[in-house]
Amino acid sequence: MEQLTLPKEKLPELLGEIGSKFELIGPKEENGFLAFRKINDPKEVNLDILLSRVPPKSLIFQQTETLFTYTKGKDSKVQTPKIDESVRVIFGIRPCDARGYDIIDPVFMGKKEGDYIDPFYTKRRNRSILIGLSCNEPDTNCFCTSFDDSPANTKHVDILFTDIGDKYFVEVVTEKGEDLIKNLSKIFSKATEKEGNIRKETEKTAIEAISRKMNTEGTVEKLNKMFDHEFWIEAARSCIGCGICTYLCPTCHCFDMQDESTLKLGGRVRVWDSCMYEEYTHHASGHNPRPSRMNRVRNRVYHKFNYFPKNDGIFGCTGCGRCIDYCPVNIDIIEVIDKVKEVNV
Amino acid sequence: MVENKELIRVVEETVSRDDVKYVIGYKRGTYGFQIKPAFAYSAKDAKEFFYSPLCAKNLATYPLLEEKLPLRRGEEAEHKKIGIVVKGCDSRAIIQIIQEKGLEREDVVLIGIPCKGVIDPKKIAKRFPKQSKFVDVEENSNDEYVLEISGTSHKIPKDELLSDVCKSCEYPNPLLYDILIGEAEEEFQPEHFNRVDELEEKTIEERWEYWEKHFQNCIRCYACREACPLCYCKTCMADLLEPQWVRRSVNLSENTAWNVMRAFHLAGRCISCGECERACPVNIPLMELNKFVEKEVKEMFDYTAGLDTEEKPLLGSFRPDDPEDFIS
Repeated sequence: MEQLTLPKEKLPELLGEIGSKFELIGPKEENGFLAFRKINDPKEVNLDILLSRVPPKSLIFQQTETLFTYTKGKDSKVQTPKIDESVRVIFGIRPCDARGYDIIDPVFMGKKEGDYIDPFYTKRRNRSILIGLSCNEPDTNCFCTSFDDSPANTKHVDILFTDIGDKYFVEVVTEKGEDLIKNLSKIFSKATEKEGNIRKETEKTAIEAISRKMNTEGTVEKLNKMFDHEFWIEAARSCIGCGICTYLCPTCHCFDMQDESTLKLGGRVRVWDSCMYEEYTHHASGHNPRPSRMNRVRNRVYHKFNYFPKNDGIFGCTGCGRCIDYCPVNIDIIEVIDKVKEVNV
Repeated sequence: MVENKELIRVVEETVSRDDVKYVIGYKRGTYGFQIKPAFAYSAKDAKEFFYSPLCAKNLATYPLLEEKLPLRRGEEAEHKKIGIVVKGCDSRAIIQIIQEKGLEREDVVLIGIPCKGVIDPKKIAKRFPKQSKFVDVEENSNDEYVLEISGTSHKIPKDELLSDVCKSCEYPNPLLYDILIGEAEEEFQPEHFNRVDELEEKTIEERWEYWEKHFQNCIRCYACREACPLCYCKTCMADLLEPQWVRRSVNLSENTAWNVMRAFHLAGRCISCGECERACPVNIPLMELNKFVEKEVKEMFDYTAGLDTEEKPLLGSFRPDDPEDFIS
């Protein structure tokens, strides 16, 4: 892995150059929160706020995806939208959010030969180069370390930037990352051993700053045994079913498909959906296999901490803490898992 | 000032009644300035109840979330009451729901709490970020909030952390209750909801630009709807497919349709608790829409929602002298 440094004052120059050659997406402050948006001017990039409110999963798994459009009448036509496949650089993505992509990749890109490959997700995923940014100051509800992750993990990005004072320590992780660097003018310097040590120290300090921990040991087995436990009624009692926890989750990936038409024109769209809604499992017959909040809250926990590990060998949680941060009734997933541990079965 | 001891005693007493199923109140949350809704099924559960200016959440949502599972043959529905801790605005939500026949007065036992206004969770979290342990806040007699963080005491002028909706609240005391804890507060001298006044001074284009900026961020999670005690329709118009009033596509046009329709459906019904705005994950100033409609309703029909259980709902009543000049 190539290790470089970039003086901080050179960052606008770098982003300007990337922006002139490719589409550049970065974190921008809007209405008091951070959002990943197209960057036209490097000054728009905000690296002070840790996490974007809506996770960058929305850049690849878009909230609204038009699968095809059609016109009506004699000369009716069906058209599939063309997806831009040119290189797009996503700058400033945090390691946990990048890991979110890795977790949901198998859902859309298949696990084995013959699996369905979703062209929309796959093409966008392949066109994206991820330049990650390490979290030097994790937030209150960050707990990525509970999943053997680190706030400076290089594993899920193409290039990782770590703030080491007056410079960024730059690690070029993948071939995609190398190609990008080759394409840019030579504003990087080779990193020294001393700078490498500062980077390691920075990561260590960041890990130590994470105060919340989720103990996931034995969770899968425990959940196997408590599907019908009354614990779920209690866990769901305060849930108002708002869906924030799922919409803001970097690994939630449920969707609904709808036909939307006007007199002349129509289209089929794929939109985010959430298992926290009563309507989500409501059958056309009127029957609902998840009739109460208890069923729905339980499903969210099981999907992330039981079904995901069983199907893909990985927890469906990155430890970003958004569901804890924005739950209007303080349903805290760390506390839920702690309580699962205490349940007698 | 609400004494927690007194609150716990009242909750214990209420939950011990034969005709009460459970009591809903507040307990301390898992971090920072978070509170949690608490449910007491027995006197023992009441021990964790507490009240402080952090208890913003309107609990009136819960009785309507009660899931009535299908009864088995021969089984009879349970008619037990639900106890709820209510502030001024929360009691108005209950009144409004009773007015609309969503609940019967006998369905609930209201434990009233005179309110001095609640803290805006976003403002306090911004002021004191990164609190991984629960921090309680008290209000002193000098209009200051007092809190202690790692041994250091902080005093913050109330005005800096108070929720905006509370600044224009005319009804801090519960208007409907079975038991009142503590002394009724003096009525506030409410400021006008100046966020609406500021908006009204802008041109139509400026206002459109303002709402466009907010609505384009809407992720249509409908948290505003779920958090709202008055959004309790069995089927929301937003979930209907035939006819489909609002499309599922998330774009400016549909988002605007959703947010405007939501505000209209609360005309003469919103009781200004601010729950929608608190829940919104993308900071849409929803109370500005609600307050605007509230103002229009007040000016046109001299009507305020949620004051009297016997009154008819605004849209369910007609007076020969109702204004009609907006029709033509």
